[in-house]
Amino acid sequence: MLKLTDINRRLGSFALKDINMEIPEGQYYVLLGRSGAGKTQLLELIAGLGHPDSGSIVLDNVDITRQRIQDRKVGIVFQDYAVFPHMTVFGNIAYPLKVRNIDKKSISERVEKAAIAMNIRHILERDTEKLSGGELQRVALARTLITSPRLLLLDEPFSSLDTSLKDDLKRLLRNLNKSGQTIIHVTHDYGDAISLANRVGVIHNGTIIQEGSVDDVFKNPSNRFVARYAGIRNFFKVEVSGENGLVTGVTKHNVRFKLEGQTPGKDALLIVKSEAITLSKEKPADRDLNIIQGKTSEIIRSEFGMEITVDAGDLFYINVPVQFFENHRLSEGEEVWMSFSSKSIILLN
Amino acid sequence: MILSSLVLLFILAPLAGMFIHTGGAQFLETIKDKEVHDSVWLTLWVSFAATFFFAAGAVPLAWLLARRKFPLKDIIQGIIDLPVVLPHTAAGIALLGFISRDGFLGKAAGLAGFDLVNHPAGIALAMAFVSVPFLINAARDGFAAVPERLEKAALNLGASQSKVFFTISLPLAWRSITTGFIMMFARGMSEFGAVVIIAYHPMVAPVLIYERFSSYGLDYARPASVFFILVALLFFIVLRLLSSKKKVKQITIDAETD
Repeated sequence: MLKLTDINRRLGSFALKDINMEIPEGQYYVLLGRSGAGKTQLLELIAGLGHPDSGSIVLDNVDITRQRIQDRKVGIVFQDYAVFPHMTVFGNIAYPLKVRNIDKKSISERVEKAAIAMNIRHILERDTEKLSGGELQRVALARTLITSPRLLLLDEPFSSLDTSLKDDLKRLLRNLNKSGQTIIHVTHDYGDAISLANRVGVIHNGTIIQEGSVDDVFKNPSNRFVARYAGIRNFFKVEVSGENGLVTGVTKHNVRFKLEGQTPGKDALLIVKSEAITLSKEKPADRDLNIIQGKTSEIIRSEFGMEITVDAGDLFYINVPVQFFENHRLSEGEEVWMSFSSKSIILLN
Repeated sequence: MILSSLVLLFILAPLAGMFIHTGGAQFLETIKDKEVHDSVWLTLWVSFAATFFFAAGAVPLAWLLARRKFPLKDIIQGIIDLPVVLPHTAAGIALLGFISRDGFLGKAAGLAGFDLVNHPAGIALAMAFVSVPFLINAARDGFAAVPERLEKAALNLGASQSKVFFTISLPLAWRSITTGFIMMFARGMSEFGAVVIIAYHPMVAPVLIYERFSSYGLDYARPASVFFILVALLFFIVLRLLSSKKKVKQITIDAETD
């Protein structure tokens, strides 16, 4: 198990601040963040390629904060793979064993095994310079896994792979994790997180701003940045005001939201989750709900069914099942009503 | 275009003139001259030995300069370049004080039973003094061009710092180091100013050429010059060819790591 406590690290004008993380054995942890958020720096601290200014890193109950890189049992696969250009594929995979002075026979046995597991046995004797991105990725993985790391760190492993290779690699990583390998995977792509992670952390400006299960993080984003990552598109900038115990948020285009139990502030970011919105052709009767009228402006197929865009001054994006769409025979340019409870509104300052 | 050709002509014309003015008979006689042989041979091996021995310290120093941050690094870099800008006779005088019998190194050599002045070892020191910056700078640039990621990856894979140096940094910087080696060797071989102050005898080729010129005149100095230039060129070309065999592979490495 890995435990980071109060990690701080300053690097020029950038700093990692008060990082706390706990990753149980066998977990697939995805750390989400934009480039420059501090993801790679954090991985390098865990791997020992840099040292924190303060805080501690504990792996399997051993404090490894100041331990030598070579003794850590933490394997890192870099974004650009860092495959050694002056060695063959075999030479690369054998490298960790050679530097440990393991005898030649068992080196070739173990390299062979690792290559079979990564499906790269046929390229063992090749030079690395003409390999594809996917092949280089597998070479780098095989080279790291041959050291049997307690913890595998992956830095943007999909960044230069095309879609089909990405799916292959995802399968491979999922299987690896299923067989017990603890993985920390950093990426800027929330799709990776949803499809692979048991747990997600979101890092922004050197701080982990939210952490939890995939559902926690994507259903209840704690701020605008996380929300954007979660693929939530119904955000509105609103001016909040309260009168006679009624709090409302109004957008620039005069769309009004009834808010509940929210303290009036000035400007806020308001989020309505797409699945919380009910769409109908008649005006709903329940007066406690937020009821907004608009016109369908676009209807497209999406991975969740149909995505309907409603223009109510501001644009709302609503996902509906295909069945619903067919029953209601919605077409573009129709008047519709959207309703949702005030409780489903998230307000961020 | 015309100006560029003029510069090239300026370099080639005196050399060509010297070759043309050297008669075949004179040249053959010089080739057979034992004194000339000995001095050319001395120049080559002493310069090679100087380069070889100094490389052992210069290459690790170059790595430090490329990779590590330490106090006064800029000043150290300046000191390394100093021999290049000093007048070489002045460098020779400075070095002489250091290696003569009263000097620190001279005393040490005296205890070992020989005198560095007028000795091949002294010549090697003079050559190295003025030429070692070429090796250090070329090797430093070579190390700096090795992606740091590769070194980090090797450390992460369990290699010790010294193993990383010998298995990753050194092989990947090899082309620049060889170029620096050749530059240092060539520069040391052609050194006159510093060497002549340390050792008039045994005579290295540049000193021999000077001596023939000042004692007997231009016609007598020319064949020795031509012979030395030819031998030096031959060595230069052979070394270049040897190092360019590695080059083919190295270029693809550069393309990949850019």
